[in-house]
Amino acid sequence: MKLTRSVRNSIFMGIGYLFALELMLVAAVLFWPNFAENTGALKILASPIPVLKDMFSQLEAKGVSAYVLSQHFFKGCNVLGCAAAALIGSAAIAGEAHRGTLEIFLLRPISRRRLLLERWLLGAVQIALPVFLTTLTVPLLLARVDEVMDFGPLMLCAVHQSLFLVALYAIVFLLSTMGRAPLPIAFGALVFVIFNFSIYMVKTVTHWSLFRLADMETFLDIYESGALPVTFTAIFVVVISGCIWASLAIFERRVP
Amino acid sequence: MHPPNGIQATSLVRTFGQVRAVGGISLEIPLGTVTGILGPNGSGKSTTLRMLCGLVRPDSGTANIAGVRLSGDGTAVRKVSTFAPGEIALYGEMRGGEHLAWLLRGRPPGALAKSRAITQKLGLPPDKKVHAYSHGMKRQLLFAAAMGPDVPVRILDEPTEGLDPAKRQEVLDLIASDADEGRLILLSSHHLSEVQAVCGRLIFFHAGKIIADESPADLATRARRTVRIGYETPAEAKLACAAMEREFGTDERLILSLAVNALEVSTTLAIDDPRTFLAAFGALEAPRPRMLAIGSLSLTDLYRTVYGVSGL
Repeated sequence: MKLTRSVRNSIFMGIGYLFALELMLVAAVLFWPNFAENTGALKILASPIPVLKDMFSQLEAKGVSAYVLSQHFFKGCNVLGCAAAALIGSAAIAGEAHRGTLEIFLLRPISRRRLLLERWLLGAVQIALPVFLTTLTVPLLLARVDEVMDFGPLMLCAVHQSLFLVALYAIVFLLSTMGRAPLPIAFGALVFVIFNFSIYMVKTVTHWSLFRLADMETFLDIYESGALPVTFTAIFVVVISGCIWASLAIFERRVP
Repeated sequence: MHPPNGIQATSLVRTFGQVRAVGGISLEIPLGTVTGILGPNGSGKSTTLRMLCGLVRPDSGTANIAGVRLSGDGTAVRKVSTFAPGEIALYGEMRGGEHLAWLLRGRPPGALAKSRAITQKLGLPPDKKVHAYSHGMKRQLLFAAAMGPDVPVRILDEPTEGLDPAKRQEVLDLIASDADEGRLILLSSHHLSEVQAVCGRLIFFHAGKIIADESPADLATRARRTVRIGYETPAEAKLACAAMEREFGTDERLILSLAVNALEVSTTLAIDDPRTFLAAFGALEAPRPRMLAIGSLSLTDLYRTVYGVSGL
């Protein structure tokens, strides 16, 4: 099947995101022995920022598991995944409208529901799959530095991370269903993500940050309890299904 | 009685913001006919065609296409009809043949073979990337995709726009032979002469409404009675028009309508034989014309002189 440029670009973006994520993970895991030696010094350095100081305290107490969860999920997947969600989601429908190809996209005898769900699913897979694939390599990489982590809870963290990213993607996708220009949507989404990341570091407002839903503390809870947090998971499921429903309702009536 | 397998639309209305693009269009078109929709830009032609193939939802009104009621997102209607859009935006990165297959996704397999045969006939290179296609070639690719599926209704929005005369004729011939197989072809155009050649019925749009529904024979009569007189300057044309209005304006036995457009004065005669008019015109005290044409009628003339539409 021949893919259109927008679909192809989004697949390339997904592949790029996978490789970048794996590269960051490899570097982080191989750096672990050095990091472990210097945790105390790093904690002192981070002491002016209370949120960071708390994080280093956790790292000191929980060791390699906290380190991997923070490096891979909180830092790697959140940063790259949010960027991928913004870029892939924004181009999904608004990209077609921007190129003027929305009319030919819609004129085939295929229901709009199917067209939209196919496009949505493709993006969601591109965003979630790299999280799982890279997480699968964590035990192998840890073996290189003589460390181990439980595989099951690690994959549960990947599920949680994927739900978080897909929820963000679903919101951006909804905006793309309504819009005609992908760039402002992507830009707006990225600004929103950066803003949330920056307020995460400010103690007085950190609880308002979106990243409280997918931070080291959350992943440590999942890893240690071996279960997904019910409230957070419910929030993600509601956001994802609500956005899909709204996207379908808007797309059904959209003028090419 | 409704045609069971043609197009039947009743009071279709579509508004975009404050603009009423289509204001209550009703149509009834049987199978086996070629019908042309004509009108200036913004007259509601394309919106009507898009509504009939389910791409744009009407605010109100109903339509049946080949016995299928227009509802929801129009998928059911698009299974029994094809649409070639007027606005050309294709995926330039695909090759012509690949794009054709992409456009025909969801159609029975035979559709692609027929569309490929049409692209071959039209001389489109299937291995060339679409971004290297000319405007006319892209138009033909969309046309071929719309002509491939075996459906009873085809809706073509300006299928010959941007084509050279030879290709235009090939496309019109394909349309005519397709209608001979019992299909309904509904097409829009800005060119009166070409739709006159292929259409059995002409529907004229203006400001989102149908202002006339005529046969090419009616139009041929109108054309025979049309006299266009050209002048060197707009001022001369205005002077001549004023003189004609003064002399013949009240004589309904001689002329039915009179209009001036920049360098030209157009008039519709009340009789087939123009000699009486020409004799009277020769005796008129008015600027000397640079051109006088009898029997040719442009779409603009038709709208101005016959339908009384201004501002075209």
